Amino acid sequence: MVSKIWTEKFRPSKFSEVVGQDEIIKRVESLTKSLNIPHLLFAGPAGTGKSTLALIIVKELFGDAWKENYLELNASDERGINIVREKVKNFARTKSLGKVPFKVIFLDEADALTPEAQQALRRTMENYSATCRFILSCNYSSKIIDPIQSRCAIFRFKLLEKKDIEKVINTIIEQEKLTITPEAMEILYEGSEGDCRRAINLLQATASISPSITPDLVSTIISNTRPKDIRIVLDYALAGDFQKSREKLLDVMLKESISGQDVVKAIQKEIWNLPIEPEIKVKLTEKTGEVEFRIIEGSDPFIQLQSLLASFVLAGLGKD
Amino acid sequence: MPWVEKYRPKNYSDIKGQSQAINKIKKFIEEFYLGKLTRKKKKAMILYGPPGTGKTTIAHVIANETSSEIFELNASDFRDKEKLKSILRPAIEQKSLTKKNKVILIDEADGISSVDKGGLSELISLIEETTYPVIITANDVWSKKLAPLRQKCELIQLKEIDYNTIKSVLFDILRKEGLFIDNKIVTSIAIKAKGDIRAAINDLQTISKLKGKDLNPDEIKFDERNKEVDIFSALRFIFKGKPSSETLKIFDSVQMPIDEIILWVEENIPAEYSDVELAKAYELLGKADIFKKRIYRQQYWRFLVYENALLSYGISSVKKNTKIGFTNYKKPSRILKIWLNNQKTSKKKSIAKKYAELVHIGQKRALKEFPIIKEIIKSDKEIQEKLGLDEDELAYLKQE
Repeated sequence: MVSKIWTEKFRPSKFSEVVGQDEIIKRVESLTKSLNIPHLLFAGPAGTGKSTLALIIVKELFGDAWKENYLELNASDERGINIVREKVKNFARTKSLGKVPFKVIFLDEADALTPEAQQALRRTMENYSATCRFILSCNYSSKIIDPIQSRCAIFRFKLLEKKDIEKVINTIIEQEKLTITPEAMEILYEGSEGDCRRAINLLQATASISPSITPDLVSTIISNTRPKDIRIVLDYALAGDFQKSREKLLDVMLKESISGQDVVKAIQKEIWNLPIEPEIKVKLTEKTGEVEFRIIEGSDPFIQLQSLLASFVLAGLGKD
Repeated sequence: MPWVEKYRPKNYSDIKGQSQAINKIKKFIEEFYLGKLTRKKKKAMILYGPPGTGKTTIAHVIANETSSEIFELNASDFRDKEKLKSILRPAIEQKSLTKKNKVILIDEADGISSVDKGGLSELISLIEETTYPVIITANDVWSKKLAPLRQKCELIQLKEIDYNTIKSVLFDILRKEGLFIDNKIVTSIAIKAKGDIRAAINDLQTISKLKGKDLNPDEIKFDERNKEVDIFSALRFIFKGKPSSETLKIFDSVQMPIDEIILWVEENIPAEYSDVELAKAYELLGKADIFKKRIYRQQYWRFLVYENALLSYGISSVKKNTKIGFTNYKKPSRILKIWLNNQKTSKKKSIAKKYAELVHIGQKRALKEFPIIKEIIKSDKEIQEKLGLDEDELAYLKQE
């Protein structure tokens, strides 16, 4: 049964179908053809093809039997490294049956593991190296401890270029019998931020309303997915009402389940629309960047965002 | 016999270092017996201050000075309203057998649990009806549960006792005991007591048992006595007072993990600071949080020093002037809100989980993109079937 979810329906299942990441595809394909892959580390932003490539590898290696020889785990969803180890242990207990002497374990978002958990993971990788190959995926390879990096072949995925996203979108437009204007395509690309999955999802959400994809329709869908109340949060702060501002912030974050990182992004974009002096906009942008950095480093997002809101309160008073 | 008992003051004049409070107390007692005629004055006083500043002692001195019998209640008597009534009523109604007067002492009122509301209201009606003075002692008079009491009582603060005063009391005791201890040792006992005269006297008695070279002032090591402080006092200390070496250590005395203390500080910064102070305070809080994260990541506990310093001294230092007045600090509400929200959004999570499995992404990612994903799932029955959504989940989608 073909999935009606387009990100699945149009997910490439052969190396030749993958759009972008040409260098990586070439190298991974030749590794796979040799039927012997090392542990792999895929680093790069979301929606650039890391999971897809892992799936292609196992399909190439195992053919129809890929499901029996492939374990997919998500580090940020599993509760602790012990669960991961347990699952790996159970999976690795039986040997691979076919011509390939190992099974493949894909650990998504490996950078969500703490350094200690990664140490434990390293030992697990060693213990089962005879029967298993690991493919780790992460957004930032710097958050993977060196001993793991040194055991893996590292591949760095880049954000998809505009022409790549357009190619993917056009394929779908054709097969699903949709129409799209160049302007709508432009907006779709902007909205995707180079994330192919997001681009496809946006397209499907838009197409669920009408098969002719117009700029207005795409814009509406995109703005529906953006935390729109962020402006209200900032307006409270600029008016000097810190208490209300932070209350609203928590409200928005909880109600829409948006992460701190997404809130920072939205704030960064909104700064340019605020009624404040250009010089202050620049200062606030710098501060926003610092806060985003801290959140990525793993700091408590709500605490960091409050410190950002406090800066907006000062900006509203004309102080800095 | 413990020296703290042996040398416990009997008369107002024996009490050292609390002259201001004593004057107030004398006036209160005088007016109380006049007020008995007019029935206008407050009939209870709260003696409040840190441990070892003489609260209980003063209550006994008052009884002695007014030739009264002391009728003492403690916090556990307040657990049961009926029981309290049965003890109290006879006490305020019956005349004392041997002495003319009575003093009712409620020692360590902080210990009255806030769930014992019945007991507390019984105490308040007692204060309204009593013909004898009621003396209440408490470490933290500003705690919320004592709020209804505060209005009915004269508040008398007992300050930490100055170290010079403690020192002279200690020398006085040594003289009476016929002992000699090096000035250096006595001084360090007095300093270390941090205003707690009971602690100082206990330490002195312990030290006096040492002999010969053990009494060498350079050899004696005192174990720091950590005075326990509740979070409200600690916050007051930081937000209102001048930063000092005490500020730096204040959270060590709070029985609460530092992760929780951070939340308390976070919640209450805007209650005290605004504008520039607010921004500076949050900046420091943010930095403290970074060190907290570094401790977890690297298991390097020395970073705790920085986390703690920024959180206490740092946040205390951002204000231009010390602050006065009473602030009602709030419990951190964020964790509760997150929990409540999680209850509300459990359906959303279960849908996201099913979706995430189907399309090889993490659940967090699916939640993040839920606004788009939701549109896709909503519009297509086949997808809903493939995901195996149950009725509750479908209902959730519909109302979204």
